[in-house]
Amino acid sequence: MRQGVLFEHALRRSLRRQRRAVILALLGLLLAVIVGAIVYLSQAALDATTGRQLESLIAERNDLEQLNESLRAEIASLRSVPRLRQRAEELGFRLANSEDIDYVVVDQYDPRQTAVAPQIYAQLATPAPAYEETLAGWLQQQLDAFNRQPDALEGE
Amino acid sequence: MRQNLPDDTLRQRLPIVIAGLLLVSMLLMLRLVSFQFQLDPAVTSYLESVRESGYRRTLRQSAVRGNIFDRDLQALAVNSLEYRVGISPNLVSRPRETAIRLAGIMGLDELDTFNRITSEVPWVLLSAGVSADQGRQVAELDLLGVTIEARPRRYYPQGSMAAQVVGFVGGDMQGYYGIEGFYDGQLAGREQEQMLSNIPFDVPVDRDEDRGSDIVLTIDREIQFLAESELENSVAQTNAARGNILVMDPRNGEILAMASWPTFDPNAWYEIRDDTLLQNAAINDLFEPGSLMQVLTLAIALESGNFQMDDTYVDRGYIEAGGVQVQNWDRKAHGVVDLTTILVESLNVGAATVSMQMGPATFFRGLREFGMGEPTGIDLQGENPGILFVPGDEDYNDSLLLTNSFGQGVAVTPLQVLAAFSAIANDGLMMQPHVFRRLLDGNEVRESSPSTLGRPISSATARQVTEMMVTALREGMGGRADLPGYTVAGTAGTAQVPTTLGYEAGTSVVSFIGVLPADDPRAIVFIRLDHPNEYWGAAVAAPIFQRMAQRLVILMNIPPDDVRRELIAAGGAVEAIQH
Repeated sequence: MRQGVLFEHALRRSLRRQRRAVILALLGLLLAVIVGAIVYLSQAALDATTGRQLESLIAERNDLEQLNESLRAEIASLRSVPRLRQRAEELGFRLANSEDIDYVVVDQYDPRQTAVAPQIYAQLATPAPAYEETLAGWLQQQLDAFNRQPDALEGE
Repeated sequence: MRQNLPDDTLRQRLPIVIAGLLLVSMLLMLRLVSFQFQLDPAVTSYLESVRESGYRRTLRQSAVRGNIFDRDLQALAVNSLEYRVGISPNLVSRPRETAIRLAGIMGLDELDTFNRITSEVPWVLLSAGVSADQGRQVAELDLLGVTIEARPRRYYPQGSMAAQVVGFVGGDMQGYYGIEGFYDGQLAGREQEQMLSNIPFDVPVDRDEDRGSDIVLTIDREIQFLAESELENSVAQTNAARGNILVMDPRNGEILAMASWPTFDPNAWYEIRDDTLLQNAAINDLFEPGSLMQVLTLAIALESGNFQMDDTYVDRGYIEAGGVQVQNWDRKAHGVVDLTTILVESLNVGAATVSMQMGPATFFRGLREFGMGEPTGIDLQGENPGILFVPGDEDYNDSLLLTNSFGQGVAVTPLQVLAAFSAIANDGLMMQPHVFRRLLDGNEVRESSPSTLGRPISSATARQVTEMMVTALREGMGGRADLPGYTVAGTAGTAQVPTTLGYEAGTSVVSFIGVLPADDPRAIVFIRLDHPNEYWGAAVAAPIFQRMAQRLVILMNIPPDDVRRELIAAGGAVEAIQH
């Protein structure tokens, strides 16, 4: 009789332990899902924020390019020959005559050499970024981004 | 009267109906599943586009057009922005204040602006041509209901300078005429398609830079300005109908200036009612070259080897052949005359005599080799090949052998004359005239290289003809084209104006062509005026050349002969220093 009770007690304890293990496993899984979801949401939010910042920077760059073009047009207009001539006359200059010119020998100078054109729209070569990210660094980055999230949202 | 179906009948038919419905459902399911595996590519593409349209949209952007510069990289055509400002009246709460502020910035009439703002329409345009600066000021006001739309605009900062060389860009952002038209493919760049995502998590993809290439011309804006100023003044002084001044470097065919009058402002091309103004008269207008052609006739004769510079003929004041009688301009006989005197005295009878002795085969072959009747192939839109009838042509007759020798019955463009004479200036080698000098495409620079159109005469003949032109300028112009300190070669032309009924009386086309300096040519200048108030080229066009040459030697750093020879003898090149 006593042995039967003991066996039943042991069986119940074993079942309880198993149930606890299952619950713990489920809780662990739930926690992992929650952490995963948080990381995913954090990354997605970071992407969205970065995307908007990038969009804003591209728009700003385009505006600046257009402004540059307009300024270039204005500069060219201000440097037109009639305007320069008028300005020079206002400053007391006059057209040179043949008598105003001296010709001198310039050593090593060849007037027929071909000039090198300045590169007006030279583009700077951007080096490819080196991949140096580690897992720990990535996790830290996610954590920082998660912490920064409320600030970023408030800022918008 | 309706009767209910018996239960057993219903029990028998229901499975059939269910089976039928199941079968149809299964077929539909199968069809649905088949979409995932086997589908017409067109349908797949359509379905994908439908799917993508929800997530993405395509934005077509025209590329930034390349700029055009003169040889010293001074801008001739650049891009700018103008704004189109409109307003939605129903969104404006304080129309009076809004009207005052907007009218003040955009330079509009306040009352008119107020009337527009208080109108009953949903949207009204306030101004279509607002400058970039004004547009920024309007945007900074941040007014509700105001819409500002930026539009690209081609801007020509030098105004009408070199307008017929540069051409213009129309409202469709396509290049027309001149460089804008000829090099439209290089200047325009490629239109870009940019995919924009509607998903906020997508990082925007920056568009690739694909702007059009910049083009550097051979035009020197200082020389162009000089040519245009001189042309405008000359037209005003002589009441001429139109004219051209062209300057070219005969050594490489680079056009340094190409001025035509009348011209237009490419910033306001849409105001032009006469389309001929948009065309480049220097490459399109035809005229009879008159006495200028005598130089080519003598060059061909000397090149044939059957004539020498000191050969003579007896000038009786007229010559008859091919059914026509040719007379000298003064209708006088000049006695025994050598070839140089033909040029100095501009004797039509002399030129006709020489061409007669050469014969049509040699003469017309020579004219062809000088480029008459052929386009020069300059890199500008709308070049006219001119008119030259040669033996075998339907419209050819024997009189043309005589009349062509002194520039009648043949039609040329100013550029053709310039190219032909450049051969004489360049030791017999005729260079391809061109205005393109360099193309700048990002980091890539493509240079133009000089090319030749042929060698119509030898170096020896070229020197002989140049010598004759030096004498012709010195002795035949009465000092009107002299340039003290410099040896200059040149000749003037006076041509009657042909009409359908013959030649127009009392009016002429005058021209002049000069080479500077004659022994080491740096520039060849062509001048032409139509219907000036004086008849003779030597009287009208030669002084224009003189004034041009006086400025050109300064702008191009060409020292006087004695200095130049002294410097070359000393082993140095030359450079000018202005006090």
